Amino acid sequence: MTDLIHEPEAGHHEEHEGTGIENRKLGMWVFLSSEFLFFGALISNYLLYSSRGGFEGTYPAEIYDIPFTSVSSFVLLMSSLTMVLAHNALTRHDQDGARTWLFATAALGSIFLAGQVFEFTEFVVEKGMTLSTNPAASAFYVLTGFHGAHVAIGVVMLLSLWGISRREGSLSEKHGMNLELVGLYWHFVDIIWIVIFTVVYLLSAAPA
Amino acid sequence: MSNEHAHPTPASYWKIAVVLAVLTAIEVALYYIDRELELGSLNALILILLALAKFVIVVGWYMHLKYEKRIANSFFVAGFLLAIGLYGVVLASLGVLVIRGG
Repeated sequence: MTDLIHEPEAGHHEEHEGTGIENRKLGMWVFLSSEFLFFGALISNYLLYSSRGGFEGTYPAEIYDIPFTSVSSFVLLMSSLTMVLAHNALTRHDQDGARTWLFATAALGSIFLAGQVFEFTEFVVEKGMTLSTNPAASAFYVLTGFHGAHVAIGVVMLLSLWGISRREGSLSEKHGMNLELVGLYWHFVDIIWIVIFTVVYLLSAAPA
Repeated sequence: MSNEHAHPTPASYWKIAVVLAVLTAIEVALYYIDRELELGSLNALILILLALAKFVIVVGWYMHLKYEKRIANSFFVAGFLLAIGLYGVVLASLGVLVIRGG
């Protein structure tokens, strides 16, 4: 982590009012900060209900497929790598590289989403755990569903940037900043999954 | 004002990805070890520390918060700590004190 390069940031504007940081970028940091509270509420809701005994029906922790979810987690983690490589390529004015890594990130995000659809289908059809089975199941679907919705929005933004880059031949300075903002959002979605994977999947157990 | 930032090279990003993958593999291995040995709260503590390490690595190096202006750091960290504090108190008050291991 000591290999550092000094590089001009593509897409950096000087639109700030004494904060030393571009306004939209600061706005994104503030938005992501507020998202901690959003996902914190959903994770707390899950922990509360999944730890309570006495509900009828299947608890999520009884039917987790840890090997499958581990692979999904790995895919999302690696999408953070491709995202940062896209940003890095753009800062080096490597437009082809940026486009390629952007597409790779969207593809990995889509694979993660496909995995989530598969998992939900398995839980509902094979295991009989639906949104209304019990409060623990509801909390699980709401939490992971909202995270999946965030991933889906991220994939749409990534593909939009990729499409713009293909149509215009390169990403302009303005779109360079957009790529950085989408990157921040994408990494945030990844760190939220790091928490969900550990707290919800690996540490959670159905009440005895 | 200069726009120069010192960011890791692509090679460094790949190395970081390997570290993240290894940490994830250790997490999953611990899950199965705990099922056999029932490490309980020790397992929970180690898993939380591993997740925290992954979290810090992604935020610091991939999101470049390490290289970001202090104001961005302040907002982001404040939101994180506020969420941890708020929901920690809520869960403690509702009796969800222990996350069982395995």
